[in-house]
Amino acid sequence: MLRFLATRLARAALTIAMVVTFAFVVLRLSGDPAQIIMGADAPPEAVDAFRSAWGLDEPIWVQYFSYFWAILQGDLGRSMRDGRDAIMLVTERIPATLALTLPALAIKICLGIPAGIYAALHRNSLADRVVMIIAVAGFTVPSFVLGLLLVLVFAVQLGWLPSGGQESWRHGILPVMTLGLGGAAVLARFTRSAMLEVLGQPYIRTASAKGVPWRAVVTGHALPNAAIPTVTIIGFMVGTLIAGAVVVESVFSWPGVGRLLVVAVANRDLAVVQCILLLVAITMVCANLIVDLLYGLLDPRLRAAPRKAA
Amino acid sequence: MPEAPLVITAPTAPTKTRRKAPPALVIFGIGWLMLMLIVALLADILAPYAYTALDLRNRLSPPILLGGTWLHPLGTDELGRDVLSRLIYSIRTSLLIAFGATIIGAAVGTSLGFLAAHFRGFIEQAVLALVDFSASLPFLILALAVLAFFGNSLLLLVCLLGLHAWERYARIARGLALAAGTQGYAAAVRGLGASPWRIYGRHVLPNIASTLIVSMTLAFPEVILLESGLSFLGLGVQPPETSLGSMVGYGREYLTRAPWILLAPASTIVLTTLSVSLIGDWLRDGLDPTLR
Amino acid sequence: MKAGGALLEAEGLVRRYAMRRGLLGRAVEVRAVDGVSLKLERGRTLGLVGESGCGKSTTGRLVLGMETPDAGRVSFDGAVMPQPGSAAWRAMRARMQMVFQDPLGALDRRLPIATQVGEPLEIHGIGARSERAARVETLLRAVGLRSDQGARYPHELSGGQRQRAVLARALATDPALLVCDEPISALDVSIQAQVMNLLVDLQEQFGTAMLFVSHDLRAVRQVSHRVAVMYLGRIVEEGEPDGVLHEPAHPYSRALVSAIPHPGRAGQRIVLQGDPPNPADRPSGCAFHPRCPVATSLCARETPALKARPDGRLVACHVAHGEVSAGQGHARQEAA
Repeated sequence: MLRFLATRLARAALTIAMVVTFAFVVLRLSGDPAQIIMGADAPPEAVDAFRSAWGLDEPIWVQYFSYFWAILQGDLGRSMRDGRDAIMLVTERIPATLALTLPALAIKICLGIPAGIYAALHRNSLADRVVMIIAVAGFTVPSFVLGLLLVLVFAVQLGWLPSGGQESWRHGILPVMTLGLGGAAVLARFTRSAMLEVLGQPYIRTASAKGVPWRAVVTGHALPNAAIPTVTIIGFMVGTLIAGAVVVESVFSWPGVGRLLVVAVANRDLAVVQCILLLVAITMVCANLIVDLLYGLLDPRLRAAPRKAA
Repeated sequence: MPEAPLVITAPTAPTKTRRKAPPALVIFGIGWLMLMLIVALLADILAPYAYTALDLRNRLSPPILLGGTWLHPLGTDELGRDVLSRLIYSIRTSLLIAFGATIIGAAVGTSLGFLAAHFRGFIEQAVLALVDFSASLPFLILALAVLAFFGNSLLLLVCLLGLHAWERYARIARGLALAAGTQGYAAAVRGLGASPWRIYGRHVLPNIASTLIVSMTLAFPEVILLESGLSFLGLGVQPPETSLGSMVGYGREYLTRAPWILLAPASTIVLTTLSVSLIGDWLRDGLDPTLR
Repeated sequence: MKAGGALLEAEGLVRRYAMRRGLLGRAVEVRAVDGVSLKLERGRTLGLVGESGCGKSTTGRLVLGMETPDAGRVSFDGAVMPQPGSAAWRAMRARMQMVFQDPLGALDRRLPIATQVGEPLEIHGIGARSERAARVETLLRAVGLRSDQGARYPHELSGGQRQRAVLARALATDPALLVCDEPISALDVSIQAQVMNLLVDLQEQFGTAMLFVSHDLRAVRQVSHRVAVMYLGRIVEEGEPDGVLHEPAHPYSRALVSAIPHPGRAGQRIVLQGDPPNPADRPSGCAFHPRCPVATSLCARETPALKARPDGRLVACHVAHGEVSAGQGHARQEAA
């Protein structure tokens, strides 16, 4: 178990190191980093000072390590718009995003998983068809279209809810619905196919053939086994909590991390973009790590298996 | 790192038995996709106006269904530009990007997968680490970061979207090539003295083509959604060029006064992704039950 | 060309695999082939017999150069085997070919038979395009296929016909050596004899040397000029096929021979006790001693060498060489 943990941790660290490397390479490829990080209108002597402070006249690999070292110390550069620390700018937006993504995650899980299980257990029934049609629609309707349709109906036509902003909890309803409904559809579709896969296995037929009540077969054998792939996709959803609302935040003018990212990209505010990139990578990697560990609990076989199923 | 436990089955051999006719929804999907292709190919002939042509006397004119005139069947926007014409050109741009990106993704991923399977060792580890890397970041975030660093151009956008899903093709190509190489036709052909080019190009590629094509039909709608998402945010296709996503993003400003500007491209996106998904699911069930 | 010289010589081949039981397990070294030497003359056939997992297929791949041995060397026609995958190695494939157990797996399902039979010619640039078609037809006829069957796809042929196609492809470049790895075990019994006869005919016609790998001692005898019996990565007995079959010297060969069903000789079967051998956990001394009915305590201590008996038969057994009198089997002795 210890060794399993160690390999997983090493892989997670490697992935984060690759993201840092990616940011470094892209940053170097896109122009003079001193100019970019300090901003185009920074005085030349400040840029020079920055250059020598960051050792940008050193060989590239020395720069690479000092870049790495700076990031390890939490120094992620300053926003070129207001000169504040990028990491401060990003962290103060996180609560707003979580206020959307956490309730949305709850909706996804509470709607998607039961719907998927129900559809799988009543395969080809009317309910299954309806769930599947909604699930396919949830995948093919982009979130900005869904969001705008909700605005059109509930804000423009009915006038029940505000269409954007963050003044009260009522402003959050439409964006949470947009995020939650789309994700619930994806999760329902996934849960259904995982369940159907498990229900087709010989051990399920064996269990029901030897007289185990169907309810017990489902709860005792089918659900735990179908949970394994489902946990992966929920882990992915947890990994996107911080930045999974890029599009929806833009639709509803919600001042979260995603909105910040879009504005930063449009303004080429690289320090902020880089900071969000790292933050997302770390959340994602941590979520994957937790999923891997959960796997170990759910399925003892996988503790020894070298990679998770493709 | 040992290989991923990818389930391998032999590719379906060409059979002479008649396939069941596809279900109605799939026929609809194929029909819609054909229509989209025709529209994209014949955009110059079909579009009644140039997509930038202004008609200032008929600004925000509604479509026929809402009491408009045949002059602008789907209405006009606030500059009097014909929505139908813009829609037709947007379909062309969006499909072009989606096709280009899907093909780039498949080519890059398959090549890397073959490289990993052929050389094993360090190269394989490097490819697998890259696969882990791209699976660990939401693609939209990665794409936004690259756009922030490099600015924006149509070529960059296509290449960037091409990187979407490359790791899926790489995984599939590597898994199937390894399976064929250990005790299959590929090992046999290698034993004949064939060069790697011949082994992979002439034998392995045609044999795994059906699996790759199914993956492409599954990735295609995702690329359309990504492109339209980026364009909606104003970070994808830039004006004066127009795509389905940028039309929605633009029409959003007139949601209350002229919802048709937004509804026409939005429903086109939904119908197109739906069609390709339906076809992809159907192909997967028919051709390759190993993918899920 | 040197007349009568050995075409293929292998000396002390060793092939180890690192086997891991999961990520947590320790890497266990498995010696699939543990010091095998063999010699094959032009136009002759050597049969290699043993149960599955004894390393006979690995030996076949080693002598073909498909894998590199960890120790020992293979020389073909007096030259050392080049590195697998190199240009020299690829060029050498024209002279040595392999026939597989599963002909359907060895053929590309997406290409017609004739294309595949002609592929070695294309690869090695033999003949002009027009000559190749004629050569393919000759080959198809030589293995007993009709030329119209060349247009078929592998799945449209029967198992025996597919194996014929694989043979035709293997013979396309007129190789000096053919390694047949269980070529008949995936075929129906009624087809097996036809393919065996075909192999003998083809050898006469083309003068190809063959290494015939099989678990079926009778099949091996039918085609071979010499037979080698393998057990757990080593050759334990080697000699003339009739001699080995009628008067096996090694206890393991005796068990193999007695396993051949024989009308009117019921009841004489030697049933081996104990588990089939696990190459990861090799017994001390003679690897066969835990299952051997005549093992002695010496067999558990000392590994017998493969030596010639006065009649020329090579055997690796203390008892067969008379170094010790037959015991009661090691396991039983310990229990008693």
